[in-house]
Amino acid sequence: MSAVAAGPREPSLDVHASPADAAEAWDDAEAAGGAPFLAQVWAVARKDLLLEARSRERLLSMGTFAVLVAIVFSFAVDPAVRARSIAGAMIWVTVLFAGTLGLGRSFALEREAEALTGVLLAPVDRGALFLGKWLANMAIVLAVEALVFPVFALFFNLAFQGSLPALAAVVVLATVGFMALGTLFGAIAAHTRLGETLLPILLLPLLAPVVIFACAATQRLLVGRPVSDVVSQLKMLGAFDLVFLFVCTAVFGAVLEE
Amino acid sequence: METTTASPPAGYVPSGVGSSSDSLAGTRRWAVVLGLLAVATVLAGLYMVFFYAPTEATMGIVQRIFYVHVPSAWTAFMAFGVVALCSAGYLWLRDPRLDAIAVSAAELGVVFTTIVLLTGPLWGKIAWGAWWVWEPRLTLTLLLWFIYVGYFMVRGATENPERGKRFAAIVGVVGAVDMPLIHMSVQWWRSQHPQAVILRPEGAQADPAIVQTVLVWVLGFTLLFFSLLLFRYAMERLSQRAHALRVAH
Repeated sequence: MSAVAAGPREPSLDVHASPADAAEAWDDAEAAGGAPFLAQVWAVARKDLLLEARSRERLLSMGTFAVLVAIVFSFAVDPAVRARSIAGAMIWVTVLFAGTLGLGRSFALEREAEALTGVLLAPVDRGALFLGKWLANMAIVLAVEALVFPVFALFFNLAFQGSLPALAAVVVLATVGFMALGTLFGAIAAHTRLGETLLPILLLPLLAPVVIFACAATQRLLVGRPVSDVVSQLKMLGAFDLVFLFVCTAVFGAVLEE
Repeated sequence: METTTASPPAGYVPSGVGSSSDSLAGTRRWAVVLGLLAVATVLAGLYMVFFYAPTEATMGIVQRIFYVHVPSAWTAFMAFGVVALCSAGYLWLRDPRLDAIAVSAAELGVVFTTIVLLTGPLWGKIAWGAWWVWEPRLTLTLLLWFIYVGYFMVRGATENPERGKRFAAIVGVVGAVDMPLIHMSVQWWRSQHPQAVILRPEGAQADPAIVQTVLVWVLGFTLLFFSLLLFRYAMERLSQRAHALRVAH
């Protein structure tokens, strides 16, 4: 049903994201009703990821936008400035903007044509619904981040070798918190008149802890500091993730009521 | 959380509508009493600022702005605490009175946060030589102001006002959980940089007369906050009743 709600789109794309595909995804989701919590989470995430895999609209728009922001940074930053000394900031600003752009679409499909009513009728726990949406958003934003880092490395001649596992840990932990708040406030913004305009206003002040520690850890790894130097940042990011995930899951039910 | 219909069950009237028993007269009486006490305390505070507290040695006359600045900051953060508690209560119990307290406290929070953000730079320009410094407390207060802005934007942006109240309550709760994390982060963030030449406000608290004056102002502003809160709460309740009557007819 969600694919029907996707609105007018080019027929060539629609061949892939047919209503039947979405219905198939939903059959799985409904079969999961009464199923264990994790199966419900996975059913919701699978539905979103299947839709995204067929349409690719969020990945394409976020990825293109992120590369363009990288190009804008190339123009904007004074060549005399050593890019390496500010790359952490540039990368995370790009990820935040691109991620916010994509989050705006996360609930747009459900909201159009009141498809959310159908989702709510499925026997899925509200917490599972939130975690499923969160998981799908995580996967999509991680894919965009997997593009952003190499693009910045290419454009600004950065070297990540040697610190890749630590960098991956920073990226994943920061994205967990980002998407926990992002999924909650994406759902809220989608239900307001202001829509996607409201999302960054709600999200950016609350994301300050994630941004501070993600930027600092990325920057340290970029300038070649040892992994032991970012362990404390990783721990802080992990703690923020737990808090945000718990709180956002707990209050999510109140977003969906009519 | 199970879905409950947001519209109250049939026969349920938002408390107070149409009944004369739930009068707001008592609320207003307390508001007036607290208001008079606040005015008296602030007048005493003003006297102390100009005739009792000595001029601070290193910062000079500009230090006296602290008597407005510090109590405003205290009140702003207290208001946010009230918003958070009442928002959490509203999400749980769906009592319109809790929402009325939350929105009243949030409005006052914006006012007092704005006072903090306006008086701070006036002092900072002279004491630090800059209107703005990314010092942890300033950063935290600025982000607090933006969270309040989000609270009101989301509240007014929904077709269904009940939904706007719930969304605002979520912003209040998540914001309150986030505030300590933001506080921790900005402290850590600033400790990474060499400290600017800062005249620490703690240094100003050596003289007992100064401490006493600040405390009188904190009391005055706290009384003022609760007085205005009650006035605004009574108004919000009337507005809720007017809305309920409009919907009923």
